[in-house]
Amino acid sequence: MNDLSRGCTGPQTVVDRRQWLGTFGMGLGGIALADLLGREVTAAPASPPLPAVPRGGAIDAFHVPPRAKRVIYLFQSGGPSQLDLFDHKPLLKERDGEQLPASVRGEQRLTGMSGNQSSIPLVGSPFPFARHGESGVWVSSLLPHTASIADRLCFIHSMHTPSINHGPGVTFMQSGSQIPGRPSIGAWLDYGLGRLQDDLPAFVVLITKNKGGQPLMSHLWGAGFLPTKHQAVRFRSGADPVLYVNNPPGVSIASRRQALDGLRQLHEHQFAGAPDAAIQARIANYEMAFRMQSSVPEVTDFSDEPAHVLDAYGPGARDPGTFAANCLLARRLAERGVRFIQLYHQDWDHHGGLRGGIAGECRQTDQPSAALVKDLADRGMLDDTLIVWGGEFGRTNYCQGLYKPGQDFGRDHHPRCFTLWMAGGGVKPGVTWGETCEFGYNIASDPVHVHDFHATMLHLLGIDHERLTYKFQGRRYRLTDVHGKVVEGILA
Amino acid sequence: MGCSTPRFRLGPLVLLATVSLPAAAVRGDPVAPPPGRKLSFNEHIRPILSENCFACHGPDGGKRQAGLRLDTHEAATTELESGMRAIVPQDVAASEILARVVSDDPDVAMPPPSAKLGRLTTEQVATLRRWIAEGAEYQPHWAFLPPPKPTVDDLSSGLDAIVARKLADRGLAPQSEATRAALIRRASFDITGLPPTPEEVAAFVADTAPDAYEKLLDRLLASPRYGERMAADWLDLARYADSYGFQVDRPRPTMWPWRDWVIKSFNENLPWDQFAVWQVAGDLLPDATAEQRLATAFNRLHQQESEGGSVEEEYRVTYVNDRVTTFGTAFLGLTLECCRCHDHKFDPLSQRDFYSLFAFFDDIDEAGLYSYFTDATPTPKMRLLNGGAADALTKAEESCTAAAAALIAAEEAAVGGVADWLAGKAPKPAAVAARSAGTIPGELARYAFDGSFANGVAGGPAASSPAENTFVAGRDGQAIRLTGDHPVNVPAGNFRRSHPFTVAAWIRPAGRSERAVVFHRSRAWTDAASRGYELLVVDGHLRWSLIHFWPGDAASVRMQEPLPIDRWVHVAVTSDGSGTAAGLGIFVDGHLVATSVVHDNLSRDITGGGGDTITIGERFRDHGFKDGLVDDFRVFDRQLSPLEIRELVEPGPLAAAVAGNGDAERLGGYVAAALDETAAGRRKALEDIRRSRDDLAERPTEIMVMRESPAPKTAFVLERGEYDKRREAVGPGTPAALPPLPADAPRNRLGLARWLVDPEHPLLARVTVNRVWQGLFGTGLVTSPEDLGSQAPRPEYPELLDLLAWKFSHPVADGGLGWDMKSLVKAIMRSRTYRQRSVADAKTMADDPLNTWLARGPRHRLPAEMIRDGALAACGLLVEKIGGPPVKTYDMPDSFKPEQAGSGESLYRRSVYTYWRRTGPGPMLEVFDVPSRVVCVAHRDTTNTPLHAFVLLNGQQFVEAARVLAERLLADQEADARPPLERAFERLTSRPADDREREILRTMHGGQLDWYRAHPEDAARLVTVGQTRRVESLPAVEVAATAAVINALLNYDGCVVKQ
Repeated sequence: MNDLSRGCTGPQTVVDRRQWLGTFGMGLGGIALADLLGREVTAAPASPPLPAVPRGGAIDAFHVPPRAKRVIYLFQSGGPSQLDLFDHKPLLKERDGEQLPASVRGEQRLTGMSGNQSSIPLVGSPFPFARHGESGVWVSSLLPHTASIADRLCFIHSMHTPSINHGPGVTFMQSGSQIPGRPSIGAWLDYGLGRLQDDLPAFVVLITKNKGGQPLMSHLWGAGFLPTKHQAVRFRSGADPVLYVNNPPGVSIASRRQALDGLRQLHEHQFAGAPDAAIQARIANYEMAFRMQSSVPEVTDFSDEPAHVLDAYGPGARDPGTFAANCLLARRLAERGVRFIQLYHQDWDHHGGLRGGIAGECRQTDQPSAALVKDLADRGMLDDTLIVWGGEFGRTNYCQGLYKPGQDFGRDHHPRCFTLWMAGGGVKPGVTWGETCEFGYNIASDPVHVHDFHATMLHLLGIDHERLTYKFQGRRYRLTDVHGKVVEGILA
Repeated sequence: MGCSTPRFRLGPLVLLATVSLPAAAVRGDPVAPPPGRKLSFNEHIRPILSENCFACHGPDGGKRQAGLRLDTHEAATTELESGMRAIVPQDVAASEILARVVSDDPDVAMPPPSAKLGRLTTEQVATLRRWIAEGAEYQPHWAFLPPPKPTVDDLSSGLDAIVARKLADRGLAPQSEATRAALIRRASFDITGLPPTPEEVAAFVADTAPDAYEKLLDRLLASPRYGERMAADWLDLARYADSYGFQVDRPRPTMWPWRDWVIKSFNENLPWDQFAVWQVAGDLLPDATAEQRLATAFNRLHQQESEGGSVEEEYRVTYVNDRVTTFGTAFLGLTLECCRCHDHKFDPLSQRDFYSLFAFFDDIDEAGLYSYFTDATPTPKMRLLNGGAADALTKAEESCTAAAAALIAAEEAAVGGVADWLAGKAPKPAAVAARSAGTIPGELARYAFDGSFANGVAGGPAASSPAENTFVAGRDGQAIRLTGDHPVNVPAGNFRRSHPFTVAAWIRPAGRSERAVVFHRSRAWTDAASRGYELLVVDGHLRWSLIHFWPGDAASVRMQEPLPIDRWVHVAVTSDGSGTAAGLGIFVDGHLVATSVVHDNLSRDITGGGGDTITIGERFRDHGFKDGLVDDFRVFDRQLSPLEIRELVEPGPLAAAVAGNGDAERLGGYVAAALDETAAGRRKALEDIRRSRDDLAERPTEIMVMRESPAPKTAFVLERGEYDKRREAVGPGTPAALPPLPADAPRNRLGLARWLVDPEHPLLARVTVNRVWQGLFGTGLVTSPEDLGSQAPRPEYPELLDLLAWKFSHPVADGGLGWDMKSLVKAIMRSRTYRQRSVADAKTMADDPLNTWLARGPRHRLPAEMIRDGALAACGLLVEKIGGPPVKTYDMPDSFKPEQAGSGESLYRRSVYTYWRRTGPGPMLEVFDVPSRVVCVAHRDTTNTPLHAFVLLNGQQFVEAARVLAERLLADQEADARPPLERAFERLTSRPADDREREILRTMHGGQLDWYRAHPEDAARLVTVGQTRRVESLPAVEVAATAAVINALLNYDGCVVKQ
């Protein structure tokens, strides 16, 4: 990275640049005017022994001892069916085709899709379940790789959310609000904790390519009312992993370096006449950009990965933009100090044709997800990396549309309970948390609201969710709104 | 906020490394006045109480702790149940609040540790103590008091006097005036969003006339570029976009005429009060013009949803909420959002206030979901007609009226002929004589459901159904029993709105239904906005409708009596082809029944939405006719007369009447409708004319606007803001803490709008001038333009804000500006404060990085639009064309929602015209901090990130612009002998390069030239980036070297910063 610039301009310049960077500590964000507007408010100081937050974060020191440094969130958009993957309900098999008892259904609102159906027949999972690992966790036959690492995972069967539709549901999972406009989890972390490195963005989004299903929206990784510098940089799978990161045709590294040196001289001259800190920030940012022109291609180039690693992630690993390749890229970004890596995999919305549909998504995601956990563990990174796997809600125990026993079927959205798993980063391994009723319709014990999940995630990263706040429109906002409770029972 | 930790930290360390900021300066805590001058509640006390106490001891009655309220004098000084008083004026020792804020006992201390607010600082405690000692006087929040009448006449000099006085208090003085070159650059960007040309700079520098600057401002304000520049900020507030937003975010291609109206209004300097009134309530103005109605699209620019399965009412409420909060942010500078779910924590705004405002904005025929299956414009809406199209449509309507009158005459004649025959005055009419059997013509389908779906009409196609719908004993033979989830498909019935038709059947409901689809011809309910026609049972009553888009473009009637449920009922519904509610008939057991009009606003056709044939008993995501029975289902290609409908119920009356001994009263109607040839010919003619009218009506672009529904809705307080938790009903009203609505004001949006623009209203003018100030100086006088409530940072210059606000809002006759926006902009820009050079000494720059002290002129990075437009203008590529549909720029394929890039002039239009998709705005603009326009935004970030470098260095738009400018300068070298890069520098920064800069430019150019001479193949590639053809006559190496340096200059601080 710096070698390139050294080659072009000599060591003196490099030292100069390093001095700039050292002095001004500029990360990707640089200075936002909002920083100066007095909008950022930190919470009260924590008890002394806690380590200081590395750099550029809104909080001075961790509120609680951090267990995870970074997060890789494998978001499964569309709402994977917990009843066919994780939440084993033999009763549904027994009562296959019978109507969901009204006493179980209760007053729950249904979507406009199945809410007007005149019949709601229960449907058992056609996929066999078995216990796995020493923990004896139930996992269906759809996820053999995940099952093989069951003892490393923490399954939460009692997730619940207020949202019954995708747009609000995904938005809620990613920002703690159903209405777009709030900062996403990654933006909160970047705002609160600053960055671990200076060569890459702190918050990166990777999306499985060529997927249909429910559309994603860029506000899901946006900064909301936080300064826009906290929003994610989305890496693409094409030639330009970051928008315009590559030089245009006819511009080489060397000629660009020469032009940037001239630009820097102009800025230094300008600063001498106008002592505006923004000019210094600009100088630092152009150097950072130059370094990113090396660091971004470097991290996205898998040619230094040995064959056995690529093989472990599965056949997709060699095809940029697949879920497998994105999992591997996530590991590489994590190794280089990216704080929050958000993957999205779409098309879990199986209102019909569930058998074939869910099997297809599992084929794409099962092996890479498990490989990522193992790979991080092999590298000693699992302890301080939190991995999350899950969607925005679950699916109903009854059939959407017309049901014929033995034939393919669909399940509608179900916000009352769904499963999500976590691994690493201070979470108890080999644990199942929360239970649903025997119908798999209601939560029987230890409910975990999305706000609780967020509170727990922040806790693992060293943050008290009630103290990471941002003042906007006269009010202190936080990721968990005015709710959220850390799920102590799953903390290692 | 802790005692030991500054509550505010700079994110990046850059400033901490170079300067130290006094905490008070950054925090905005005002310095206490010297002894002898009393503390001010608003200035010194309210910020402390609001920040630390109001959340639990403020306006929100729902969350109030210990019965203590600290935001009013009366409540704060009252004895509490505990016997204590929080505040005892002049008695520091007796005031419990002081004991609490200094206590170390966690059970006593305030704010309590659980609030995680930290402790008050020593200074804050001292300030509270002094205020209580001084008598603890309260004031209403400053922004809720009308600004006082100023004593100065001239706004510009009055403004300067205020600034100079306060600067002097700080031991500072204003800076000298900026250079002429800097001034024209600053003014050009501020008024037009574009840099001046070198010629304009030269002319202004050379113009030594005393009014040179004044003339400059006038020239710039007269430019049509002014409207484009000012519109950009308003579009952020109005959340204008070219897509619906939310998850599906389909393109919404027809809202741009509203954007053009905004540009035009700024250019024509529509007075600001009118600008506000038209947008809030233009449709309600007396004799509202098309433009005034168009302006109300402002209220419809919020996001809309069409995700399958969404709850319609939930989103309808969301839309009204958005209107209310946008109104609050844009016009009141208040954060009404908080009161959706509970009373405001900090401001005297109750949840009831919120829903009282809600009641102004929900009286429209609106659907919570837009149509997924069609591209219909959601209602209410208006047609955008040019003169010719409007005339043609008017003519077509007139022809329809005339043809309808002709038909009525023929029918009356036929009825008269029958009456004469029956009275013995004339012979039996020939048409009657020929039909002595009494037949019903025009039958398309008849299904008896007697164990089969065969069509009783000879040669007619059979119906079909899944086996779940079963044959059971019927009224006559067998009937079909419906599951509610399975359709009976009838292969007929794709009638247009101008086509008369009749559908009839025996039905037997299983019980009373809140909603059940008896039959319909449409693709879906909410997913298609019900386009087509339908017979439903709603709340136990039959409802018969023709629909283009439910509810605002439909003709619909509802039977007044409930539908009998315990027996077989014969139901026939008719449409006469007029497409009006009056043309719809419901017959029960052969009798026309009384109906009420549900909607009568059908303006377009009912076909073309899919689902082209009739379905009985079921509809996509709707409630079917569960367990209902249907027998003898019949479809007719014409509007049957009442006599014919009686014949459907029980055969016989027709033959008797035709024979002259039956229902004489209805015979005439039958003859006119079914037998008379003259009437038949005219009926056919009427239908043809109506069909041509319908074809014309399909063409115009339609835009969503506001239109009050005939029957007002009732608004309710919604518990926790949830759409289905209705509590008490509320009528339209304004917040209690603000001036009251005049008693004679109409309780609708027009009343609200006029209340808003009263010059004595404390908020509209303040909010507006604050944003104008922000646009010119980068930071508002109140630094939170979206919130002037009690949590807003206290402005450094409240009296300046008041001066501007009073002047702006008051009539010229009283010494004000009469809401004249151009005059306001000009007055501020004429001031010495604005004209200062933008650089102060290093200490002042560091102590006041946001320039709230105004100790120097503005200096901030240009907004996204100005960076792109400025580069295009300076490089000679900008296409100056006002208005029209949005255009797609080079970077659209890189958007999160990729679109093909446009071509030709689309690539070089001003950025205000760039296609705006909410889930994936233009990537270049997004990198430079444009909001996604999902919600109303009053302030943009101004970040400084490495991603900017990628866009400006590597983005096609900027690489091409640099090359085009290089070519121009090189081609032009004979006319201007100065080195091309010096001229480029001048174009891009509006000033000549100094010696050092010239030297740097020479080095840069020399280095690039060396490189491209050695790599001519690179030069050849660089000069062909972009759609603008290269100038072949110029050597590629020279063009590439010059372009590479210009490209770097496009990134230069002096180019992207306004100073």
